[in-house]
Amino acid sequence: MSDHHHDIFKLHTPEFNQLNNRLDRRNFLTKTSLGIGALALGSLLGNDLLGKGVGAKGDIPAATLEEEILRAIPHIAPRAKRVVYLFMSGGPSQFETFDYKPKLVEMYGKGLPDSVRQGQRLTSMSANQSTLPIVPSVYKFRQYGESQTWLSELLPYTSAVVDDLCIIKSIHSEAINHDPAITFFQTGNQLPGRPSIGSWVSYGLGSDNKNLPSFIVLVSKNAVKDQPLYARLWGNGFLPSEHQGVQFRAGKNPVLYLDNPEGYDGADRKQMLEYLSKLNILQNEPYGDPEVQARIAQYEMAYRMQTSVPEVMDTSDEPDEVFNLYGPDSRDSGSYAANCLLARKLLEKDVKFIQLYHQGWDHHGGLPAGMAKQCKDTDQPTAALLKDLKRRGLLEDTLVIWGGEFGRTVYSQGKLQANDYGRDHHPRCFTMWMAGAGVKPGISYGETDDFSYNVVKNPVHVHDFQATLLNLMGVDHERLTFKFQGRRFRLTDVEGNVVKDILT
Amino acid sequence: MHFLSSKKLFIGVTLLLGVIAYVVFHKPLEKIDYSSQVKPILNKNCIACHGGVKQKGGFSVLFREDAMANTKSGKPAIIPGSPETSEFIKRITSKDPEERMPYKHTPLSKEDIQILTQWIKEGAQWGQHWAYTEIKSEKIPDYSSSWIKNEVDQFVYQKLKQEHLSPSDEADKSTLMRRVSLDLTGLPPTQLVAKRFLADDSPKAYENLVDDLLASPSYGERWTSLWLDLARYADTKGYEKDGSRNIWKYRDWLIRAFNADKPYNEFIKEQIAGDLMPNPDDAKYIATSFNRNTMTNDEGGTDDEEFRTAAVMDRTNTTWSALMGTTFNCVQCHSHPYDPFKHDEYYKFLSFFNNSRDEDVDIEYPLLRQYNSTDSLKLNTLVDWIKTNASPEEGKKYYTFLKTWQPTINSLQGDKYINGALLGCTAGLRNLGSFRLKNVVLDQKEQLMLRYNARLNTGNVYIYLDSLKGKLIKTVALKSNQTPFWKLQTIDLPAISGTHNLFFKFHNPAIQSLDETGVRFDWFAFGTKFPGKGKPGYDDAMKSFAELMEAPVETIPVMVENNKDQFRTSHVFVRGNRLVEGAVVTPDVPHILNPMPADAPKNRLGMAMWLTDEKNPLVARTMVNRLWEQLFGYGIAETLEDLGSQGIPPTHRALLDYLSWKFMHDYQWSLKKVLKEIVLSATYRQESKVTDGLLKKDPMNKFFARGPRVRLSAEQIRDQSLAVSNVLSSKMYGKSVMPYQPEGIWRSPYSGDVWKKSQGEDQFRRAVYTYWKRTAPYPSMITFDGGAREVCITRRIRTDTPLQALTTLNDSTYLVMARYFASRINEVGGAEVNQQIAKGYELMMYKPISKARLNALMELYNTSYTKFRNDAKASALMAGQLEKPDKPKAASLVMVASAMLNLDEWLNKN
Repeated sequence: MSDHHHDIFKLHTPEFNQLNNRLDRRNFLTKTSLGIGALALGSLLGNDLLGKGVGAKGDIPAATLEEEILRAIPHIAPRAKRVVYLFMSGGPSQFETFDYKPKLVEMYGKGLPDSVRQGQRLTSMSANQSTLPIVPSVYKFRQYGESQTWLSELLPYTSAVVDDLCIIKSIHSEAINHDPAITFFQTGNQLPGRPSIGSWVSYGLGSDNKNLPSFIVLVSKNAVKDQPLYARLWGNGFLPSEHQGVQFRAGKNPVLYLDNPEGYDGADRKQMLEYLSKLNILQNEPYGDPEVQARIAQYEMAYRMQTSVPEVMDTSDEPDEVFNLYGPDSRDSGSYAANCLLARKLLEKDVKFIQLYHQGWDHHGGLPAGMAKQCKDTDQPTAALLKDLKRRGLLEDTLVIWGGEFGRTVYSQGKLQANDYGRDHHPRCFTMWMAGAGVKPGISYGETDDFSYNVVKNPVHVHDFQATLLNLMGVDHERLTFKFQGRRFRLTDVEGNVVKDILT
Repeated sequence: MHFLSSKKLFIGVTLLLGVIAYVVFHKPLEKIDYSSQVKPILNKNCIACHGGVKQKGGFSVLFREDAMANTKSGKPAIIPGSPETSEFIKRITSKDPEERMPYKHTPLSKEDIQILTQWIKEGAQWGQHWAYTEIKSEKIPDYSSSWIKNEVDQFVYQKLKQEHLSPSDEADKSTLMRRVSLDLTGLPPTQLVAKRFLADDSPKAYENLVDDLLASPSYGERWTSLWLDLARYADTKGYEKDGSRNIWKYRDWLIRAFNADKPYNEFIKEQIAGDLMPNPDDAKYIATSFNRNTMTNDEGGTDDEEFRTAAVMDRTNTTWSALMGTTFNCVQCHSHPYDPFKHDEYYKFLSFFNNSRDEDVDIEYPLLRQYNSTDSLKLNTLVDWIKTNASPEEGKKYYTFLKTWQPTINSLQGDKYINGALLGCTAGLRNLGSFRLKNVVLDQKEQLMLRYNARLNTGNVYIYLDSLKGKLIKTVALKSNQTPFWKLQTIDLPAISGTHNLFFKFHNPAIQSLDETGVRFDWFAFGTKFPGKGKPGYDDAMKSFAELMEAPVETIPVMVENNKDQFRTSHVFVRGNRLVEGAVVTPDVPHILNPMPADAPKNRLGMAMWLTDEKNPLVARTMVNRLWEQLFGYGIAETLEDLGSQGIPPTHRALLDYLSWKFMHDYQWSLKKVLKEIVLSATYRQESKVTDGLLKKDPMNKFFARGPRVRLSAEQIRDQSLAVSNVLSSKMYGKSVMPYQPEGIWRSPYSGDVWKKSQGEDQFRRAVYTYWKRTAPYPSMITFDGGAREVCITRRIRTDTPLQALTTLNDSTYLVMARYFASRINEVGGAEVNQQIAKGYELMMYKPISKARLNALMELYNTSYTKFRNDAKASALMAGQLEKPDKPKAASLVMVASAMLNLDEWLNKN
């Protein structure tokens, strides 16, 4: 465990934030494609700002303060320039997907041995159950790829790309209920109030695209909505609100208020904004407030988003071959498949952090049918996204992540029937995978016991996962901190170790 | 500890002597001040390894007693009066990288070493951080300048002189009027108020304006918006499905309290402990909803004790961050790393909150039950009867019980279920099912009142003592019919003394299957028989009681304290983990601050008395600093949330103390009086123009050489646009409303809650009345830096984003406002378009439009008109449904109005 009070930390005084704002604005105004964080991580990202000398132009008066900050910032070579995180909300079962447990077959219906459970906490949903009957996967497993990885028959498309995956079977969490668990995964803390991963990334690394937000959220419209999603999952917590995730929604109005109001075609919006700028400049003559320039710039950005967002959202000119790759749903805007395709387009535009949410994995009962549906909806598009990124050369510097907030129990919740069963929440071990930039392809990492109840080798805690994610993006998780209420907070709280074994 | 080689020792000693010589011979010795000179060095360089979290080498500099104590080496590191022999100085001056402190970090500067050396020489006295010292009456600096208007200016002027800056002139009347009106009421001044002020040339004109604004009912709404952030107020419970919560009466309580200028000490006391004050009325109970704004977790399968504890911690943290500008949550896991708070002090303070009745149950007990007027009369009559015929204490007890249904035991406390389960927060039993109620105090309990619902008409509940095989103490024949759904039943109990486990078993022979739920229990109340038996009116009183128990009521979650039967013992949580209990603690306040007043009980009420004691160093400072921030954009100490040693030090500490002292004493905690003093100052009235030179010297306006110019808050932006468009509803109070928001914002799949657009003027209420759903807050509020209010928001950080531009340009709400605004200026502006635009500008800014501005807007109008003239359809759409004969003109005017509502000077106070 490391210590949050002993960091060599970035300066986050108001002056620094002020500076950030100014730099941001300048970057924007001079149409530099690098964000603040990029500036912070300077040379490693091939940032030419440093070479040119900050403050050489624009409205930054002197270079001293920023240079000081730059020197204070740690340097890790980033391997991922962007991240797409496929969040499987509800807690997908590891038993029917990635964590093959053949020995369970002979234990069918028997009680979970106390030696395995070790008195661990159950949710109060199954805590009152008189027996905890073991249930093996109803679905068959087979080995695939050169890596000879065991996968369930529910994942035919994933099995074709399995040699690109780094499957982590030993993820474990602390929370046992959805809200705290998902909040923990997305913000590093079980209780609300902290910034989400994407907003930390936006804060630390800024934006590489001047026309699109750096943190974009996509929610499948076609998922079984068995569990709610909360704005805090992509919220900015105590970071400035410009770092909150922007949800792109299916349909006519992908970003809230992006569309001109009803009845207004917007043809002369540009003119109106020009007059507005003119008025603002006029007004500012006596005031001399630099913030006015900033506001003008933001209005210009808003105007550009009105074009750039619909453009990127529009997949109509993709060839049939691409739609075939992602599957038939990919023509249905807002579906998981369409969102995967859209994610690829956003990644091509260098959007830094894209988070897809697909709900419907919470199978307390009716798990066999439920898992079949969930896998059918997601397997092909997920594999397609990997393939598509790979053939475009984007997988080299894009990190793809797949996983939920916890796994499921080895025992059946509710009545165990011949072909039907449920599984309760299980945070002590479950499976996620990563692929692409900087992670070893075609490996499985970590092991669980015969019951996938406990981790027996190479445990990866949620904070370790978060630390690794940031590391891949070139950020030391102990140093990306923000001072709030007198304490320097970070995504990984006071813990987290980079899982070096899975890095290339 | 390493042995020093003689060479290293020689170098070290030489250097040390050098430093001492330097100190002795080269500086006139002014006594070192611990707080301003020493503490910053220690915080920056030492405390990470030698503080509240880590004490490497057995050495800590957090408290003096620790710093003077023996370290692992067996000797103290600091020897007061003797820097030469103090290991502390040796280490910071050492040349050996293995020895030198700070270890592996940049060495201390010569100046820092000099300060520390002299400080030890002078006895290494500890000092108190400024914010923890008692607030004293400050001496007012004596400057004479025609600029100075009141004492605030004396302090500001002093600083300006020190910084070689000069103050700015007073802003023009219109600008100043708009600024002060938005600041005090959240709205631009009404035309009437504006007219009066602009025509008034008397010296008292501005003060009269301020008095008008402070007396306006809008004042309370504006300051309530601020307090709702601190109170983490929302209309939903926050976790998971995020269901509705009926707590808006607390918001209304705030509006009334601000408008009545309830003294801030009372204001706080009632919110923290209104329920514990003598004879609390509904308003005092509702005030305590402040602490019921914590989140409640209804998710299936959660451990309610976990989330009850989270709520109790939240109350503790909020008390400190919102009311005392102190980060106390650090102390949850260990002693404060920088400030003098000890680990167990967190839990001592937490235990003030640990005995409220709430237990994270989904129905949010305890609830205040508000009767209609007839039933209220009945209640008063009944309570009077009990007071007369039994005792005043009994009367009070029955009053509390009827108003809150407390004390009762929630079914949540049940366990050991057999063929039964906790269903939500009710204990559900199937046939022959049973469960246990633990540790029920049965001394002097004559009866049990049950709240339950049973499915069928027959069925018994058997109550056993201590085990299912124990003595059957009662058989209860359950009542059952369709209405009311929940039944109340009172049964007599045999006399049993002591604390026992009770087992409840259900049996109904009519139910054949074992898996049908037969009965669900809500709560259990053990008590004495209805008093006054044999007295005249007894039967009527009993009847009133029964009727009132089931009377229709409105409810709101409030605080109610545990009685002694249900008292919870509090522990330290080791490393902040509630499952690892450390030492038992009892309520107390941190030793470093003022002690609890002598007459204060050791409960929430006593804690509230401590908070509002004039010796409390933090409460007044925190609030005054916050008021200042609301007016100037930044606090005197910028970090409103942290006045501790890690916060940004105040720019004008004496001013902060002066105002805080005056707030408590001269002004008797009146917020309106402090606000008035600040806005009457020349400092506040300055124009906000800035020159390049000044911008360079003071970019953030920390020294107040100019007036504040900051973007308005989310609420102010919405409200002023509604006001200028003439559609703002003046309706106050009531249930939260749902103005227009786009489809698909709410994502709670199974709660059944929907955003149902409010009708009529409720579309155009002030933002403070907008329904606040924590997991999906109102979009434009969030875009303009509002928070989700899951936890206390101590400060909103202003941002400037394209999403804000999109909101005020494209949100239908803003288009509707632009239409109303266009229509208004069309009506009142005169015949010509240029007159109308000029009038519009005047309505917004209270001053004539400049020629250049008018030209630009006219050009925009003409460009639009050229387009709309040839496009009837577009004109009709843009102009909207308002009846307008000349649609192209109306449409073009809407365009102009929309641009005007996006002007930078409109979105800012200037």
